[in-house]
Amino acid sequence: MIYEILILIIPLIAMAFYKNIKITSIIGAIIELFLLIPLYFDLSNSGFFFIDHITYIFILMVSSIYLMSLLYSRKYIHNIGNKGISENVYYMLMGFFYVAMEFALMVNNYGFMWVGIETTTISSALLLITEKSDISLEATWRYIIIVSAGVTFAFISVILIYYAFGTLTVTVILSEGIRDSLAVRLAVGIALVGFGTKVGVFPVHTWLPDAHSEAPAPVSAMFSGVLLPVALYVLYRIYEIYPMREIFIWAGTISVLFAAIFLGYQRNYKRMFAYSTMENMNIALIGLSTFTFAGLVGSLLLLLSHSFGKAGAFYSSGNVYEMSGTKSIDGVGGLIRNKASAASMLLSSFAVTGTPPFGTFFGEFLILYSVLSIHFYAQFGIIVLSLFLAFVSINFNVSKMLFRGKSEYSQSGINTIIPLIAAIISIFIGIVFLVVYHEIL
Amino acid sequence: MNIVFTIIYLLAALIVVTGFYIQSNKYLRSMVMTQAFQSLLIAIIAIFLGFELKQYTFFILAVLVILLRSVLVTYFLAAKIPKNKNYLYESRLPTTYYLLVDLAFIVISIFIVYSISFIHIVSRIFPASNIILFPLLLFFQGLFIIASRRRTIAQILGYIEEENSLILMGTFILPVPIIIESSVFLDVLILVVIFSIISIEKTEHKPVEELRG
Repeated sequence: MIYEILILIIPLIAMAFYKNIKITSIIGAIIELFLLIPLYFDLSNSGFFFIDHITYIFILMVSSIYLMSLLYSRKYIHNIGNKGISENVYYMLMGFFYVAMEFALMVNNYGFMWVGIETTTISSALLLITEKSDISLEATWRYIIIVSAGVTFAFISVILIYYAFGTLTVTVILSEGIRDSLAVRLAVGIALVGFGTKVGVFPVHTWLPDAHSEAPAPVSAMFSGVLLPVALYVLYRIYEIYPMREIFIWAGTISVLFAAIFLGYQRNYKRMFAYSTMENMNIALIGLSTFTFAGLVGSLLLLLSHSFGKAGAFYSSGNVYEMSGTKSIDGVGGLIRNKASAASMLLSSFAVTGTPPFGTFFGEFLILYSVLSIHFYAQFGIIVLSLFLAFVSINFNVSKMLFRGKSEYSQSGINTIIPLIAAIISIFIGIVFLVVYHEIL
Repeated sequence: MNIVFTIIYLLAALIVVTGFYIQSNKYLRSMVMTQAFQSLLIAIIAIFLGFELKQYTFFILAVLVILLRSVLVTYFLAAKIPKNKNYLYESRLPTTYYLLVDLAFIVISIFIVYSISFIHIVSRIFPASNIILFPLLLFFQGLFIIASRRRTIAQILGYIEEENSLILMGTFILPVPIIIESSVFLDVLILVVIFSIISIEKTEHKPVEELRG
């Protein structure tokens, strides 16, 4: 229990040193990562916190991407000309945002999970106006109002769970096994719409491309890499009460298809990566919804690998935006001359489109296998087609940015290394999985 | 049905009427004040239930609603209304249009309650009743305000109405633990504060070319 409390408190202590919050946040994030080692050997499965191996992977994801985003922010946020919030406020909100996500993951109560998810909206909303413009203000408002309205819907689900079980404690409810009642079915179905808003399920995904494209690169990385998976985790915990396989898999499949269609006509590279997140999250949703071992492993592998790959993609996007001053795909060309940025952009785009040997490839492979294993052939066909469309769209656009035209972009320093490291971790996850767990394939 | 429950029924119906009034209103200050009144009605329902069921949590709920919704949220919202411009221009549609929309919501709510399944979610407080119809109706009204208005302040009022409907729903079905309920209230309060920061520079919302597709 002590480690969980420390995980929630350390970022808050870092905020107490407000004048040096830039440094203390990073030190705090490093300590948090080290705390995950003893936490692994002392997982809570009752009381106020509930952390099993699934939760642990999510916590690891959140802590890692938080640290990387803080490191990337040092130079990136400092260089922003027209700031909507001060640098110190930025680091403070990042801390709150991180704590809200960890809280939603670790807490052993559906009601508090809802509170955690809603708090992520509150804490992250103002981060969107770090790069202040009329468009970012509009995107912030859309994010607040759409997500809050959607997540409010999820509260009906919490009320119905309480109605059905008389408690909101996750471990108590899950220990009762699968229970079929009308209230439970309604709760799970409504959760798909409510929490699905934050996961990026079609048609309640509309905030996603706006927020991702207007947020500064490290915040977009946090959104894509970890915020959406945290919402997916909460949705999965509710799904476990009564798995409504057919509805969830169809919702995921339709969302993947629409994400692939939207990807086909994107002109803004940050929006393109945002739709790629929608695609990946829904594939993970499908994997979890199959309720099979292969589906679960595939989804966790996909989410873990995707978090690093997508963080790398957004950090690279941030570098490109800093160099070119545009978010338009057609406005960027000849990126290949800047070797580090080109390599990180290319590797990240391979990572998020599920190219072997990235972890996302093995994750998607296992998910597709699990979909076939439960005889959902139509969904399988649609998912494969969508994956192909998404792969072509993203890599074609990235290739245009890399190889078309000539330009003299130059950038050096730690911010060119961080996306590269993120993309390499994504490959590393795939290779480790292949070596250690190859018998599962 | 005893007299207290009859009064609660009437108050729940009155809450829906306030929802309609907010929906069809053009004047910002009037909308904000109606929201305060709507929240007050919810608090009165909670007090009645507290006395009837002899549960102190309803009184805590009532105090929270009055303090956070009727007073603090109203104060923050009212402070944002320009002194010389306290009306909404974009809402030019006739009241009959809103009446029709509300009728559609009534039909949808009845359909959900009777045809889909909510009829089986028996209210623990009002067994064998259809009182859940009122919060459902209010929920749709809130969503409609968010979707149909351009002004930031009108959209946040829609959101608050949506949250009010959930409190009402929770109260009628089975009140969730007060600590969670309190967190919901605080969430809304912080959102209103964020709104006040954003609304300094952004008071109206229209489609933006850069955010299409």
